[in-house]
Order: sequence, then C-alpha cells, then structure tokens
Amino acid sequence: MSSHIKGSQVLQALLLLVAVAAPALIGPYWIHVGALAWYYALLAASWALLAGYAGQFSFAHVAFAALGGYGSALLTLRLGLPLALAIPLTLLIAMVLGALMGALVLRLSGPYLALFTLAIAEIFRLVLVAEEDITRGSLGLQVPGLFSGGSDVPYYYLGLGLVVLALLAMNGLLMTRIGLFLRAIREDEHAAQASGVNTTLHKIIVFVATSVIAAVAGIYYGHFIGILSPNMVILPEMGLVIAMAVIGGIESLPGAVIGAVVVYALSEILRDYGEWRFVLLGLALILVQRFAQNGLFPFIERILDRRPAAPPPASPVRGEGEYANPS
Amino acid sequence: MTYFILLTTNGLVIGLIYALMAAGLTLVFSVLKVVNFGHGSLYMLGGYASYYAINLLGVPPIAGVVVAMVALFLFGVAFERLVLQPMYTDKVERKDEYAIIVTFGMTILLTNLALVVFGPFSKSPPSFLQGTLIAGPLILPYDRLIASAVAIVILAGLAWFLARTALGQALDAVSQSRESAAVIGINPKRMYTIAFGLSAALAGGAGALIAPIFALSPDMGELPGVQAFIIIVLGGMGSVGGSIVGGILLGIVQGLGVGYLPDPNRALAYTQAFGALLLIVVLLVRPTGLFGRAHMRLD
Repeated sequence: MSSHIKGSQVLQALLLLVAVAAPALIGPYWIHVGALAWYYALLAASWALLAGYAGQFSFAHVAFAALGGYGSALLTLRLGLPLALAIPLTLLIAMVLGALMGALVLRLSGPYLALFTLAIAEIFRLVLVAEEDITRGSLGLQVPGLFSGGSDVPYYYLGLGLVVLALLAMNGLLMTRIGLFLRAIREDEHAAQASGVNTTLHKIIVFVATSVIAAVAGIYYGHFIGILSPNMVILPEMGLVIAMAVIGGIESLPGAVIGAVVVYALSEILRDYGEWRFVLLGLALILVQRFAQNGLFPFIERILDRRPAAPPPASPVRGEGEYANPS
Repeated sequence: MTYFILLTTNGLVIGLIYALMAAGLTLVFSVLKVVNFGHGSLYMLGGYASYYAINLLGVPPIAGVVVAMVALFLFGVAFERLVLQPMYTDKVERKDEYAIIVTFGMTILLTNLALVVFGPFSKSPPSFLQGTLIAGPLILPYDRLIASAVAIVILAGLAWFLARTALGQALDAVSQSRESAAVIGINPKRMYTIAFGLSAALAGGAGALIAPIFALSPDMGELPGVQAFIIIVLGGMGSVGGSIVGGILLGIVQGLGVGYLPDPNRALAYTQAFGALLLIVVLLVRPTGLFGRAHMRLD
C-alpha cells in the first residue's frame, strides 16, 4: 500500500462529503430513499466481505438482517426488555448463530454452500410466516421508531454513520493478517491450510463479523420502516443485495456501498418504468459479471488512480495498490 | 382411505413434475458442474411458450408441450453459448460464483420480463382434455392424468437417451471426467451446450404440463425451483435416477403433509420447511445424497 493519496481515496472522501451534505439539498422523499439505501449498503458491503473476500457465497445474509430486526423487536415487544438491552442481546444471538453457521459450512463450498444457505434462509422465512402468534406472520410486525418527530433526517445520519462505522471496522479487519488469510482461503483452501492458516477459525470469524453487520442493518431497518415482514428474506431481496454488491464491486467494500446506493437510487428514479427496472437489473448483473467481473467501482478506481500520471503506464497493472502514484 | 389415495395421487402428479424439473437441474450439474439458480424461470417460460403456441399459433394443447420444449431447448443453447461458455476460459477466475451470479441474474431478468410482457395476472391455457376420470374412490381430472402420462414418457425417454445412445454416453463421459472425455474425442464444450439445452427443455416441458392444472404466473417457477434444489441434493447431485425418485417422493410427502397436518397455513409452511431441512441434513451428513455417485462427491 502506498502512503500517497490516491485518486480513489479522494473520490471516497468526496462521496462521503456529498452523503453528509445531501439532506440539505434533497427533499424529504429522497432523504427517505437515502436512509433506506443505507440498509442495503450495510448488507451489500458485509456480503461483499463474506462472498467477495472470503469466498463464502451465502444466500442467508438477508436472513441475518431479519434475525436482527425481529430479534430486537420481539425482545422489546414480547419480553418487555428495554431497547438498550434488546439490541446487544440480539447482536449476541447473531454472533452465536453466525459462528454456528460458519462452523456448519466448513466442508461446503461453491454451489453446495449456496444451496445450504438458501435452505437456511428459506426455513427461517417459513418459520416467520408460520408462527403468527409470535411474529404476526405475513401481516407484519409493528416496530416502534427510535426518534420522535416524523423526520427521516436522524435515520439518514444514523444509517450513514453505521455504514461508515461498518466500513472502517471491516477495513480494520482486512488490514490485519485475518484479511490476508481470508483471501488465501478463497484462492485455495487446501493450500492455505497446508501453509498453516487456521481455516476453521477464519471462516467462523468472517461469518460472525458479517452476520453482526447484517443484524445491525436489520435492527436499523425495523425501527426506521416501523414494520417487519417475512418478505425481508425472500429470494428476490437477496438477489437485490447480490446484484448491488456484484455491480458495485464484489471485492471492494466501498464499491459494494456505492453499488447499493446507485442501484437503489436508480430503482427510485426509474419508478415509472415499473418492472422494466428489474429486467435492467438482471441484465446489468449478467453483463457486469460477463465483462467486468470485479464490478464497476474498481474499474473506475483504476482509471482514477492512473489519471494523475501524465503518460499512461506502459503496461496495465491489475489489482489495487499495485503501483505507487508517481506525483 | 379415499382421502389418503386422493392425496397420494395428487402428490404423485406434482412429484412427476418435480422429477422433470430436478432431472434437468441435475443433468446440468453433472455435466457442467454448475447449479442453475435460474431453473425455475425456465419452467415458467415453458408454461408461457406453450400458452402462446396454443392461443396464437393454434396448435393443439399437447403439441404446445412439444413447442415449449423445443423453444426452451433453443433458449438454453443460446444462454449457454453466450453467457456460460466464457466460464471455461481463463477470463473467469471464480467459476462457481460466476455461474451462480449469471444464472441468478437470468432469473431476475426473466421473471420481471414476464411481468412486463405477459402481465401480472394469471393465465390459463386450455385443458388437454376436459373432464374427470372417476374410478372407485379415485377422482382424477384428465388434465392431471395426461400430464402424469406425458411426464413419465419424457422421463423414460430421457433415461433411454442417457443410457442407450452415443450422445447420452458422451454426456455421461464428460460428467465423469471432462479431460478423459476430451482425450477420446468428445468435445466437452459441445456436451455442455447440449446438456444445458436439454435441461432447459425438461424444465420447459414441466412448465407446459403444469399450466392447465395450475394457472400461469410470472413467479410460478419460484417454488418448484427451490423444490428442485432439495430434490437434487436428496437424490444425489448429478444422479438423474435419484432426482426422479426424489422428486416423486417429495411430491407425495408434501401432498400428504398439507392434507393431514392441522392448521393449513402452518402445514403448508412446515411441509416446505421440512424439504429445506432435509436438504441441510443431507448436505451435512451425506453430501453425495441417497443415490449419489462417487465421482460427484465434494472435493
């Protein structure tokens, strides 16, 4: 990693500034859209860590979001716990279940892992639907808000804060040896194991970390929207998160965040086109995967990092941080 | 007893449709080593292909099934050539993820395209044959009877094709080892295309057969799609015979479950959850499934 300031870092700082300033410039409708986009951004970024960095292609990520939302809501509504206790307790449950998930899927990879996690998510959704007495099933569970007053602005900043915090935490994790080991596991699990990497521990770590972030996203979503339903866990919802991460950049955490915001904002801007938006989304997903596998953000990032140098480098270098900025 | 027979026969009909779906899915898995996450949308497409062939081209309802299979075969071939083929080059680094994402993208695309083009309201193609067969305690609409019979014919044809023809043997050879198959002069890439096309045709046929029984809707593929995953894991990933047995069993078990468990809402949810639980247990305990073949085991 170079200590020079890179074009991509400038871009990220600029985007953060825009995100902070945005509520002053956009109307309440778009603040609402933005606050919802943060929910998806949290999910897409943490899923990118799980699937992109660690190679654990999980379909159960939205189930952990629902676990968070329902967990904190049910603990407060049914058991009468204060929110300050319910939230940490929910996160603890998410950690335990995340660790359990990581431990269960140790031997599974690729399509097997995908099917396994899909089945877990499906069971969770069906239990939410069936146990109407507790979860109110498909009718939806009403959740009290966090802030008094009808404005979405506090939620917007809360969501933005959570996204920034999650990115910092995940980047911190990746900066340590854990990040290196995770990539090693993704590239070749057996080779990593043979080189002395504790693959079991690291898989569990990545599941715990990403499950907690997903649960945080779910808690935020529940209190913001005010109603939870089992539809949080349906396959198209997971598909949306996958599409956001893949289009933004499955191996880039900020890329996944940008992917989430852009996809969600576009789906609102193009609301008049109805289902055509999702036709476009499916097409974009296939095309990005077919022609720019690392997503669009790393693609732009590479161009930006190259820009300050007057003559283009003789040979294109793949990967990030591979060469220092000559300025 | 009558109720039991009724539930069993209804379950059997659905089970045969599941078997068609799962046989195609498992065929693709065994030859391409890819799980097609868009298999359910091919089933949906088959239903609509048959509907429009019958209503716009005026073909008889049974021929609609054939039209659907041919149309889906062509679609499968095109999709495999355009989108999946790059997987076998060095351009794609992580092949498993690539395949999951593009087939999942296909589902998003097709389901929503169907919503736009075919409309959100359910459509019903004409019956294969009006009326109901009543034999003692058995009450069976002809539609279900014919759908079952055609499904059995297709499955038998598939089994014969895979076991007795040179092309079927070539597919099996590639599924066992693509390198060895290439050595003896089989072009694996051609086999991938054929397997994917065949699989799409089977899904399309299943969709066309179910269309007169349940109505068509753009999201009709979701549930059978998930069931097909369960079946191929249960039957052993890559085993066509296993997927047929697994499909029929799952159809019957679910039919009985919904019929006998109290509280219909819960029964419906938990019979589906039971299938998913079965998938989890099988993957954890016996990843090769009940009829798994040794070369398909996890590596």
